Amino acid sequence: MPPSSDDGAVRRVVVLPKPLHARPAGQLARLAGRHKENTILLVAGEKNANARGVLAVMAMGAVTGTEVTVTVTGPDAEAVADEAADILTAAEAVDG
Amino acid sequence: MTEGLGLVGIVLISHSAALAEGAAELVQQISGGATVVPAGGTEDGGLGTSTDRIEAAIEDADAGSGVLLIPDLGSAVLSARAVLADLAGETTARLVDAPFVEGAVAAAVAAGSGADLDAVAAAAEEARDAAKF
Repeated sequence: MPPSSDDGAVRRVVVLPKPLHARPAGQLARLAGRHKENTILLVAGEKNANARGVLAVMAMGAVTGTEVTVTVTGPDAEAVADEAADILTAAEAVDG
Repeated sequence: MTEGLGLVGIVLISHSAALAEGAAELVQQISGGATVVPAGGTEDGGLGTSTDRIEAAIEDADAGSGVLLIPDLGSAVLSARAVLADLAGETTARLVDAPFVEGAVAAAVAAGSGADLDAVAAAAEEARDAAKF
């Protein structure tokens, strides 16, 4: 496990291959739920949301091609940020 | 995040069996494995709520960490209260005032990540203030 600073914010920028609909929003919220000591913030254009809030993430209304910046603070931020980026880039929202 | 205790269960109480079942299916999908049990319609399959169905659903949803009841409208609240009064002291079930779909989604995601009953209820209540877009 690579060392990571406890207070250093880690950022990942991804371009959504699919809309950020209900399912990936749920996955992000569950990720946030598993890592309560982390804060995972998403920014998409003018909108932003804490990943913990599944409804807030859905309300961003981020569509395919949107650039989303994920900022993670807290322990193991690198790993959590990677996982969040994986969810976003694998966002296979078949039916939302 | 221990797996020792079961997750908080959620019961969706609707006047319509189809509405309760559909909402439960949707919410389960989004939450990735929370326990969401529908309690919709009357015993004879009509529109309305059934205390027997609600009570059975609470039993199904209870994994030892409490159960959150989310009603759709009016008499769903009355029926849920009647069941809770009936079970007084023998259940950890709690009725919450929350939007049916959004509240269920928020509660199920919280429950699925191992939150306790207070946190799951709070998630459902907060859904009232969440804008849809």
